[in-house]
Amino acid sequence: MDKSIPLTEALFYILLAVRKPNHGYGIIQEVLEMTAGRLNLGPGTLYGAINSMLEKGWIRLYSEDKESRKKKEYLITDQGEGIFYNEVKRLGELVENAKKMELRKVGV
Amino acid sequence: MLKFRIYFDKDAEEVWLKEMSLKGWAFKKFLIGFYIFEECEPGEYNYQIDLLDNWKGDKKDFASFMEESGVEVISQWYRWIYIRKRASEGPLEMYTDSESKIAQYNRIKKFFRLGLLLEIVCFMIEINAAIRTGSSLIWLLTVFIGIIALTFLQMVWKCNWKIEQLKQ
Repeated sequence: MDKSIPLTEALFYILLAVRKPNHGYGIIQEVLEMTAGRLNLGPGTLYGAINSMLEKGWIRLYSEDKESRKKKEYLITDQGEGIFYNEVKRLGELVENAKKMELRKVGV
Repeated sequence: MLKFRIYFDKDAEEVWLKEMSLKGWAFKKFLIGFYIFEECEPGEYNYQIDLLDNWKGDKKDFASFMEESGVEVISQWYRWIYIRKRASEGPLEMYTDSESKIAQYNRIKKFFRLGLLLEIVCFMIEINAAIRTGSSLIWLLTVFIGIIALTFLQMVWKCNWKIEQLKQ
C-alpha cells in the first residue's frame, strides 16, 4: 500500500466521519457540519469513495440488518487509521512550513 | 404525457429534463427512447443521470444507498440510472469533486467505446453483405449502422474532452 499518495478532500473527511459507525446520509451531514456548510458531498461521490475504501480495506461494514431495512453503517479500520494518521502528519508538515514562510515575510 | 427523444449525451438529457420540470412536467420513466412525464409544480424536481459501474450486481446496492442519502432513483435502463430530488430539499449534484466527475466520464467513455467496437463489427458484416447482394435495403441498414458508429465515436471524443477540461 502506497501511503505517500495525498488523500482527496472527500476521502479525508469521510474517514474522519467514520471514526464511529456512520451511514451515508450521516456522513454527508457530519461533513457539512465540520466544514460549516462548505463541503457538500454529492451522493455519487460518496458512493464511489465508500466502495473504493471498502475494497482497499480502509473502512468496513459495521452493520447490515436486512430484515429491518436498517441503514448500512461504516467504520474505519486499523489500516484506514494508519493512512489517515500519515496524511495528518503530512498535512501538518505542510502547514508548519507555510507558517515559517509567513513569519519570515512578516519579519522583513 | 409521452415524448420520444434520442439522447446520447447525458448532460444534454439532464438539461432537457430540467427544462421539462420547469414547464411543470416531472419525468417518471424511460423506455427505449420514450419518456413518460407527470404533471408537477414548475421546477419541483432536479434530475441527474448516472451510469453504473458494471452490468450485474450493484443496482440494488446503489439504489438503496441513494435513497438513504436523500435522493430518489426513479428509472433505470440497463446501466443507466435516472435520479431526482425535490428542489425544495436542496440542490442535486451527484458528483462534487473533479476526481469523481472524471471517474464518471471514464465509465461513460468505456461504455460508448464498447458500443463503437460492436457497431464497427456490425458495419463490416453489413457492408460485406451489401456489396455481395446489392440489396438497397441492406445498403440502407449499412448507412444507418455507420451513422450510429460515428455518433458513438463522437461521444467517446466528447468524454475525452470533458475529462481534459476537468483535469485543468
